[in-house]
Amino acid sequence: MKAEQQIPRNALVWSVITLFALVAPHLSRIPLWVLAVYVFAAFWRSMVYRGRWSFPGQGVKLALIVTGFTGIFLSFGTLVGLEPTVALLLTAFALKFIELAERKDAYVLLFLGYFICVTEFLFTQDLLIVLYSLFTVTLITTALLALHQPGQHKFNPRTIRPAAVMLLQAFPLMLVLFFLFPRIGPLWTVPLKSHTAMTGVSDFMRPGDISNLSQSDEVAFRAQFEGDIPPASELYWRGLVFSKLTDGAWTSLRYYQVPADQRRQKNPDITGPSLNYSIIMEPTQQNWLYSLRYALPLQRKVTKTADYRLYSPVVLEDKYQYKVRSWPDTRLELELTPWRRDTELALPPRDNPRTRAFAQQLRRDSSSDRAFVDALLQKFNRENYVYTLRPPTLGEDAMDEFLFQTRRGFCEHYAYAFVVIMRAAGVPARVVAGYQGGEINPINKTVIVHQFDAHAWAEVWYEGEGWVRVDPTAAVSPDRIEWGLEQALAGEGSFLENLPLSPLRFRSVVWINSLRLRYDALTWQWQKWVVGYNSETQFDYLQKYLGELTGRKFVLILLGSWALVLIPVGLSLLARRDLKRIAPLDKMYLAFCLKLEKMGVARSAGETPGDYAQRAAQVLPAMATAIGNITGLYDDLAYNNAAMTQSKEAAVLNELKMAVRGFRT
Amino acid sequence: MLSAYTTRLKLRLRKRFQRFVARRNPPARSVTLDQKRIFIFPSRVGFFFGLCLVVMLIAAINYQNNMSFALTFLLATLFVIAVLHTFANLSGLAIHAVHAQPAFPGHQSEFQILIQKTKPRTYYALHLQWTDSSAAVVNLVGESSERVSLHTAVGKRGWFNPGRLLIESTYPLGLLRCWTWIDLDLHALVYPRPVPCGPLPGLATDKPDGSAVPIVGNDDFYGFRDYQVRDSLKQVHWKGLAKGQSLQSKQYGAYADSSVWLDWNAFPGLGGELRLSHLCYWVLEYESQNIEYGLRMPGVVIAPDVGGNHRDEVLKALALYTIEGRAR
Repeated sequence: MKAEQQIPRNALVWSVITLFALVAPHLSRIPLWVLAVYVFAAFWRSMVYRGRWSFPGQGVKLALIVTGFTGIFLSFGTLVGLEPTVALLLTAFALKFIELAERKDAYVLLFLGYFICVTEFLFTQDLLIVLYSLFTVTLITTALLALHQPGQHKFNPRTIRPAAVMLLQAFPLMLVLFFLFPRIGPLWTVPLKSHTAMTGVSDFMRPGDISNLSQSDEVAFRAQFEGDIPPASELYWRGLVFSKLTDGAWTSLRYYQVPADQRRQKNPDITGPSLNYSIIMEPTQQNWLYSLRYALPLQRKVTKTADYRLYSPVVLEDKYQYKVRSWPDTRLELELTPWRRDTELALPPRDNPRTRAFAQQLRRDSSSDRAFVDALLQKFNRENYVYTLRPPTLGEDAMDEFLFQTRRGFCEHYAYAFVVIMRAAGVPARVVAGYQGGEINPINKTVIVHQFDAHAWAEVWYEGEGWVRVDPTAAVSPDRIEWGLEQALAGEGSFLENLPLSPLRFRSVVWINSLRLRYDALTWQWQKWVVGYNSETQFDYLQKYLGELTGRKFVLILLGSWALVLIPVGLSLLARRDLKRIAPLDKMYLAFCLKLEKMGVARSAGETPGDYAQRAAQVLPAMATAIGNITGLYDDLAYNNAAMTQSKEAAVLNELKMAVRGFRT
Repeated sequence: MLSAYTTRLKLRLRKRFQRFVARRNPPARSVTLDQKRIFIFPSRVGFFFGLCLVVMLIAAINYQNNMSFALTFLLATLFVIAVLHTFANLSGLAIHAVHAQPAFPGHQSEFQILIQKTKPRTYYALHLQWTDSSAAVVNLVGESSERVSLHTAVGKRGWFNPGRLLIESTYPLGLLRCWTWIDLDLHALVYPRPVPCGPLPGLATDKPDGSAVPIVGNDDFYGFRDYQVRDSLKQVHWKGLAKGQSLQSKQYGAYADSSVWLDWNAFPGLGGELRLSHLCYWVLEYESQNIEYGLRMPGVVIAPDVGGNHRDEVLKALALYTIEGRAR
């Protein structure tokens, strides 16, 4: 192996650091044994370095690869999908490290490292992760650079400096490219995040589902209003409309369950003031979007459903940003089609007989549908119904049991019971699921909606008024709607009880809370301007700032803006930085040449000082000594100054100065 | 057929490139590398890196992932920035021809060059090599200059120039190869190939093998030997004793024939090169036996003497016979 193909020790140490820095952010989604492979790989390579062990042979390598593949397959049950692929990549990365013998191995390893950085972004593009990845990219680049500094036998922490400088110089060029590069659609379908669980409200609601969701402090989405934020009690974020009750669980109507002529949304007459807002949703692996009713999307790619919801045709695998306009006062569906009425009245036969009987009795005692609803809410409010995050589990006739025995439930229990009673009495009603309220971030005026804000309520159809929202939970626990879950559960103490370290439990500690909200505001900006930058926003910006973009203009802008960085960087790298030191020397020599020229011996272009001196001495033999002396001094300073000390150099320079000054016939 | 054509094309391109380089970089004792002399092109690793970037870009497009776009672009622009940095790792280096050792044909000669900074910066992994020479890798970090010795086998008698010196570097990232060919005015003297032959006819020596017989006497200083009891005290090397050396006595010798002449005309009927080769052989022979010898050739007469300097002078005369000399 040639000396320059060897890996300097400095590069080896940087590679080890890179190795562990790269695997760290992936730890939550790979099996733990992969980390053990990393430790094993680092250990083996260090033993090779110390000369105790040797590099693995072909057979050992093959065995390691097969073991790795098998391990991934056994851990994930498949090799298809993003997570197993990334786990494979990470395992291969560690194994490659063991056989890091020559420079070319290092190239493969480090380029694979860059690729692993990219895979991290496929899972999350959070600001902190991006900053961390920038750090790991710097580490990889440092290792790459250290690879080209032969003879560095000691770990040198300063190697990171030139690598960081280069990345800093590349950064503005990257920004231009990021802004201008056309965002085209996917070229082909790619493996999905198969193992990521769907999060948020699901399209399947049994009693207890939402109370489970409310244990989580994760963010569901953030919303930013143009203008004032409506009061929390008005923030009913509709996501799903459950019209179908089967086997004790509510589900929404599937596309195929709706007759073709009923699928289109009937446009209502828009009334009242409107609200404009944009929402950035966290990935849910689901399709539905949240909005305040009555909502119209302000962008393409978002569709409307017949039950007045917004729907994304593609599954939300990443954060998703959309703009909405809502008219809360608009009446929805003043006329019900027979199919719709039947659907919204349907109940499984023979379920909950006591509840049915109760419902029919209560309707008979009420003068109107509205009075009937009020009477039911009165019942929830007056009788000892409890709003709790720890509801008892329910048996076969769940609502009979809940309404007349346990009387303890979370929002979905009340919404469920309410709709069953309505339907049993012949009033069209349905359960609506989504989120209610949210935390207002005063820093950037956004509403942060967490998973614990998940909520279920009801919609009742009144003749002449259409669908009207009724929230039975509000009758049981008005605090929940006005102040949120934490206040509503203050007595029970069950708010985020499984998450003792959640920052949301420390909302009373001012600095923690302010830090959290500040970071959240930053996240919003990050998401809105950077992560959410797509073909539409790109088109808008380009139109706005650059006008019609032709290919010529594109290239001009790209190169022009790059030149702004490349020219100064190039000049600082390539210009002679010791100009100041050399300048007086050249100036003196030029003065000498000028004097000779006046004496009739002009220096011709490209003539070396030596040749010039010889020629001049022949023409002016009387001056030969002086000419030789000056040329000699100049030669020493210009070409042999390497061995001179600084003071010696200054002395010679002075001598030359005197000699040139005294040079005359 | 096609491959033959491409090979020919490649050769022609290479030749044309070499001519281009020669025009740009005329031979000189000292060369300072500047923008005009340095060439730069992505290395094999650079192309591999480019391929990796394409894969990353496809991943970014397919997953519609902005941070992947950003990272891909950051690495792509790092490549662009690396052009400047790779370039700077050669720019401003001064290369000076120092010395070339004379050698016999086919033997290795040492070529010394001095590589020197003209800018206050660090240089890493400079790879220096003549076409067929050994390679050297030099860092200039703390030191401002470094002497580099490269060895290459020399060709036939006369002046040997090792051709263009290749200086290349892939520092800092290995993605780009930056190189220059410089034509250093550095020539090694190549002596004739020594070819043994029978005893020289017509030489005025006593012994048929042509060696001189040292007769112990007082004529010329000849060397030292350990003091023996019979030696005259006049002959003791007192100065050496004063310096702490062992007691030695000076030896004076007189040759059977005080000088041997190596004569061009002693080889009737032989070709010029062969004559030179034989003469060269005898120079080495006499030198090893410490016999004084002189050289007589058309246009060259060197008085008899012995010793390193004399030897070099005679060998140089042989080496440059009918070859245009150089002033060094």
